[in-house]
Parts: sequence; C-alpha cells; structure tokens
Amino acid sequence: MEILLRQFQTKSFLSICKCLEPAYSHATSWTSGNAMLGKTLFHTSNTVAMPYNPPKGPRKWPIYNKKIFAPQLPGEERRPAYVCHMRTNIKYSPFKMWYVASMIRGMSVDEAIKQLSFVNKQGAVHVKEVLLEAQKLAVEKHNVEFKSNLWVAESFATKGLVMKGIRRHAKGRVGLVHYFHCHYFVRLEEGSPPAHFFFETAPKTTKTLLSEWVDEMRQRRIPGSL
Amino acid sequence: MNAGIQVRERHTKHWAPAFKKLRRLKVQKVKLPNFREEDTISELTPDQIRSRMKEQGILPPRSWMERPITISATGAVFEPYIPPEGDGKLSSLTLGGAKQSMEFLSKKSKSMLAVRKIRSFEDNFSPSTFAEEAQDIYIKAHKALVEKDYDTLHQCVTELCFPLMTEDLKMCTTRWQFLKSLEPPRVVHARCTDIINKENIFSQVTVRFHTQQTLAVYDRFGRLIYGSEVVAKDVVEYVVFEKHLANSYGLWRIHEKIIPDWMPAREPGRKTYVQQKPVAESEPVADTAVPATPTEQSAAVA
Repeated sequence: MEILLRQFQTKSFLSICKCLEPAYSHATSWTSGNAMLGKTLFHTSNTVAMPYNPPKGPRKWPIYNKKIFAPQLPGEERRPAYVCHMRTNIKYSPFKMWYVASMIRGMSVDEAIKQLSFVNKQGAVHVKEVLLEAQKLAVEKHNVEFKSNLWVAESFATKGLVMKGIRRHAKGRVGLVHYFHCHYFVRLEEGSPPAHFFFETAPKTTKTLLSEWVDEMRQRRIPGSL
Repeated sequence: MNAGIQVRERHTKHWAPAFKKLRRLKVQKVKLPNFREEDTISELTPDQIRSRMKEQGILPPRSWMERPITISATGAVFEPYIPPEGDGKLSSLTLGGAKQSMEFLSKKSKSMLAVRKIRSFEDNFSPSTFAEEAQDIYIKAHKALVEKDYDTLHQCVTELCFPLMTEDLKMCTTRWQFLKSLEPPRVVHARCTDIINKENIFSQVTVRFHTQQTLAVYDRFGRLIYGSEVVAKDVVEYVVFEKHLANSYGLWRIHEKIIPDWMPAREPGRKTYVQQKPVAESEPVADTAVPATPTEQSAAVA
C-alpha cells in the first residue's frame, strides 16, 4: 500500500504506466496470465540509480500557475485566466534579450509571434518558442478557450549563468570573456490587450491636460517675495 | 561544378591570413553546459545514452535491485455488471418500474457464490446492510474529494479509482451536495477473484444508487465550468466496491463506476475546444495555390 501511495504522491498516473517500458530500467515480469494485472498500477524499475541533480535556476515563476482562486459569485466580473511560463539558461545575453522582451510587452500573442518571426535577433527565436509553449499550456491546462485571446501581460529577462573565460591582448595583457546566459519569463493573460499598456505613451485626455495646466499655473511663485 | 576551375565561395578575406591559428588561440575555449539537453534526450538511442553516461561518469542502474511490492487493489473490474437497459427511467409505481426493482440478487447464482465467499472472511456480511454502508463510503469519499483530503480519500477509494477522481480536479474547486436517496441502495452484483495466489482473494460488489445530488466545478480562476450549485440532478449509478479479503486490514473502497452505453450523455462543458484531427496517412499534400480573390461561393457565404 505504502509503495503504491508513494508512487502516486510523487508521480502522475500516466508516467507510472509509461514507466513499464522505459529506455533502460528493468521491470520484473509477471508471468501469470491473470487479466487483472493487464492494467497494472505499479512499476518495478529503479528510480534511485541515477545521481541526484538538484534543480538549478529560477523556480518561483511557475508556482504562480498553481494558485487556485476562490469560486466567483454569480454577479462578479469574469476573472481572466493567466499562464506563467519561462525558459531558463538561454545562451544569450540578458542585455540583448531586454530589447526583445520589452518589444512584445502589451501585444496580443498573435501579434507578438508575428513580430518576433521577423526580428533580427537570436533571442527572438527563443522568445517565440516560449510564447508558443505558453499558448499551448494555457489552452490545455489553464482553461483558456481561444488560443488567440491572450496578450503579453509581463515579459522580462534576467541574468542567468555567467561563465568567465580569458583571452590575450597585445603586450601580454589579459582580458575577461563573459559567456552570458539569461532566463526569460512571460505571463500571458486572457482577453484582448489593453489599449495603452505603457502609461507614458497613452494620449492624455483633455480633462487631464486641463488639470495639469491648472496645477502648473497654481505652482507659480514670485521669486524673492515674502 | 566544372572540375579544374577554381570558384570563390567566400567573398571576404582577412588582411593577414597567415596568423589565423594564433588569432584563434587568443581566446581560450570554455566548455559551456548544454541546458537544452532534456529536449533531445527522448530521441536518443540506448547506445547514445550509454555513451553520454560514460562521458559524465554515471554508472548504469543495477539490475538486481529488489523492492517489495504490495498489490492492494486490482487493475480492473472482472465480469462487470451489465445494467438492464432503461433502468431508472420508469417510476417504481408503474408495472414496468416495479418489475425492474424486483431484480433480486438471490436469483443470481454466481453473485450468491461470491457473497458466500465474502462471508467466509467477513462473518456478518449481508447485501442489505452492505448497501447502506456503501452509501456512507460513497458520501465520505466525495466529501473528501471536495475538501482535497487525500488521506481520507485513500481510505475510501482504491488505487485505480484515485487518479481517475483526482487528476482532473487538481486545479479545480468542487462543490458537491448529497441531497437525498430516491431509492434505497441495492447490491446488484458480486464477484470474487484471486491475484497470483489462490488464497489472495479480492471481492468486487456492485451497488446501485438512485440519488439526488448537486455538483458545481469551478476552474482555477473561480469560473464555473460544469454543473450548478442550485440545480439538483437525479443520478442512477452502478458503483463497484472492492475489498482485499485476504488482507486483514482490507477495507471496502470504491473501485470503479459502470457507465452503460444507454446512459444519457452528461451535460456538455461550458467551453469549446479544437477537435484533434486523426493523424492522416502518409499522402503527399499537394501545394495548391490559394486564390487571392474571393470566389463566388465564399462571397455567397459571407
């Protein structure tokens, strides 16, 4: 009972069933012709043989995908679905990736993918793949009905592994060579993209313009007065 | 390519090509770890995996490691109950309905043999008392499922049933209510079988429930995806309970549900999805030119 319990707690059912025919594990064979063991619920392969490699890199971003919200009341506005996805340790500089990541902020997913297909940067290839993966995840696992009904709510890149090498310069001088990696994070939200994602570029309404002008006028002081 | 004629493939040339090797040695090559390895690992042959493991200095798994295994549940329902067509549709006050409810377990010889076998392990087992116990287990299991109390759920449900019940609801919130039992629960079928040894006996008993329940399932974001909290539904179910008789700590647990073909389909889900097309046979797809201008047919449709 315990072994079966443990298997279900650590692995998914499908992975357990699939484990019956893995590449190089050794399942003991049940020779009985009992039909009840046809749909077996356990596997006997070795799970301890491979050395343990602890997970490296960022791990908190996908945890946002596990948050379960309370059921909404009938009158409440429908909460938009979102999916957080990332790709870690891309062999690309985070400083260069910034350009690609910031380009697609606030775009709809389709528009972002279209634009990325024609951006002349290696990072764009990775970002496009991540977007497509995220879109697929959203539809399959996060109850998003239409894959085009998504927009890029958050898109950013951070520094990953940096390996340092050396190079020689003239007159015996030495230089450091940085081999940068970056992590790319994206959050897709359900719905149509907002009209103005960046507050600064949104056109100001006449009301705001007027109130700002009035504030500027009221801030005026006579220099040197009492 | 004509032989003998020298063709220039490159259109650029370094101004001091004699020092190419030294220039290359300026930068010390650093072996970067391959983070995209997992994407390609499934396409490797066992020989390739073996060579990679040798490179990394990983020993292969030992083949004679033994681990004890406990089989606490069977993998399927053996000799499943075939519910009579149209069961539950006729009221028991009509003649047809009365005939349906007159289906006695005592007239089924195989089931009675199984009941006798169960009595050899469990002295005070009787189909009438068991039916009520079964309903209690059913309610307990569903309450545990709603509260995501997996410890209690494992006590009420077998290892076959557990993933079927929990997998899809992991990211969902469920609200379930058992309103009342419209007909008293009834044992309709019983079978016993042995796994591996003749003494290792499992018994499966099918119980028929006719109950009124409400079910509402909300997705991860709290949006209703199935059912309703207010609308009650009449449910006719044939639930298979299993017990590992040879195990002195065995419990009666829900194992499977028998859904006959004539049962009306469930309420459809609240969202549409793209139907997966069956994988087409290897026929070459002809690249036909898509007409740029709209045809008469498409214009008529629009």
